[in-house]
Amino acid sequence: MKSKTAFIPAFAALLLAVACSHEPAPPPDDGWVYNPTPYHFQPPPFFPLLDVPPDNPMTIQGVQLGRMLYYDPVLHPEGALACASCHLQEISFTSGPAVLPHINLGWSTAFLWDGRVQGSLEEAMLFEVKDFFETDLARLEAHPDYPRLFYEAFGEKGITYERAARALAQFQRIMASGNSKYDQAIRQEPGVFLSDAEVNGYELFFSERGDCFHCHGGILFTDNDFHNNALDAEPEAGLGGVTGSPYDIGKFKTPTLRNIELTGPYMHDGRYATLEEVVDFYSEGLHASPTADPLMKAVPQGGKQLTAQEKSDLIAFLKTLTDTSYTTNPALASPF
Amino acid sequence: MAKTVPLFRKALLALPFALLLFYGCEKEEKAADSIVHLNFDHTVGGLELKLNDTWYPSAAGHPFQVARLKYYASNFALENAAGERFELRQAHYRDVEQPETRTLEWQGVPPGEYTGISFVFGLDEAANVDGGLPNTTTNINMEWPLPGDQGYHYMKFEGRYDLNGAGVVKPFNLHTGATGNNQNYVRVNLPFHHPVKMSGGAWQICFSMDLNEWLQNPHTYDFETFGPMIMANQNAQQLLKENGASVFSLSTVEKE
Repeated sequence: MKSKTAFIPAFAALLLAVACSHEPAPPPDDGWVYNPTPYHFQPPPFFPLLDVPPDNPMTIQGVQLGRMLYYDPVLHPEGALACASCHLQEISFTSGPAVLPHINLGWSTAFLWDGRVQGSLEEAMLFEVKDFFETDLARLEAHPDYPRLFYEAFGEKGITYERAARALAQFQRIMASGNSKYDQAIRQEPGVFLSDAEVNGYELFFSERGDCFHCHGGILFTDNDFHNNALDAEPEAGLGGVTGSPYDIGKFKTPTLRNIELTGPYMHDGRYATLEEVVDFYSEGLHASPTADPLMKAVPQGGKQLTAQEKSDLIAFLKTLTDTSYTTNPALASPF
Repeated sequence: MAKTVPLFRKALLALPFALLLFYGCEKEEKAADSIVHLNFDHTVGGLELKLNDTWYPSAAGHPFQVARLKYYASNFALENAAGERFELRQAHYRDVEQPETRTLEWQGVPPGEYTGISFVFGLDEAANVDGGLPNTTTNINMEWPLPGDQGYHYMKFEGRYDLNGAGVVKPFNLHTGATGNNQNYVRVNLPFHHPVKMSGGAWQICFSMDLNEWLQNPHTYDFETFGPMIMANQNAQQLLKENGASVFSLSTVEKE
């Protein structure tokens, strides 16, 4: 009895203390600490400013959680697949024709070949978690580590699709490639020079003779837009299947040409196995269709009609965009 | 004198109120800065611009469709009758597929009676250099990377034309910019129909670009003559520069 009466004022005092306290709520479990450390990410030289949403600032904890989720099959309902199962680092985070490489997506606002997801990286990752993987959140909640790691990243107990997407987006933002031979040459790094063939290819690429740059130009080597590149006389739906607009039939996302040497086969359906086949297509294989992009200026001639030397030079230049420091970067490798 | 003293006193008493009234009215009438919204709209020979689905007649006889229109306007200046200019040295990017680019808000326009507005279509020498504009993905996509040249596309006006009206469709790309040390930007001067006194509040000035004017005034531009690749073709650039002087008109100058 005595102990009961002593308990009541003690409980009231505790309630009062909690109610009056302006300190953060105590950690939900022993040893959980929310102390986010800002992640100072430096984009490669000449890259545009990285757009980081104010409600998802990059932190060491958030990036690390995103990296773990990227490589852990825990997002799959049966634990069968992870992001990294199809996005292999050694080939610039792709694995086949339907799999767009994960590279420099921090500067993208449209995702997937047909533009099914548009908006922020967070929205794209939400699609991946919720719609693509159909993640079973209970699996994450039951995991021995993830509840704590989510708390340490976001300061709130509970695992949601949105928090998983935010973590993945933070990791995606550090997946930046800008250290190819081409990058080193434009930075005028000592001892780095393009060969004659590579310079010729560069000049072809950035002139209207080759005319690659209108879609694949700029430091990102993609305009992040959608085009019908005259691949077929009767094109697939592409973006048109998403928007319902007849003017979008045959439009697909412009892939970046960074690491293009590593990311074959090419086109949205992987119909070309080699860069030689791709260049042959742009040289002699274009098809007219009502939605063929006006930027495909050589459609009436069937293509650019490049010489063998021009084709060879162009491919030599494309290979200067290979960045092996990206495909071997330990910060992007599996944490397991 | 006996009458003047009370009058004097009354005057003294009234003075503060008069002063209050005077300053009060002056404050009310004090001219304030204005906000001016510059809106960029487009027509084709008086018809509404509809991307992709309308064939428009052209002076050269080849009906054409418009697929894309992106451009820069910069260095805006409001002018008064004395020739004084109030300037906004800023580049505005307009993409007809992005409605949010229709309007440029110009804050802090000082009170005055303005007689016209001018701007540069494209970019002047100071801005049109590599890295001359903020390093955004939009500006990067407008870069003019031809070896030996620098800066940005002033305009990407792209579409298709029907060669003979019988369904032989070819692409056109009216890409304007500086090439071979020719700056090629266009100075656009648009006098108001009558002087406009701005002294506070929000105003709108609507520009209307008639795309047909690129192809017909004063020179007829034939897609067949120049072909689809004109970036390094100064003859084509010069013709478009001269036609560019008449492509803009004022559709609205009014208080919102």
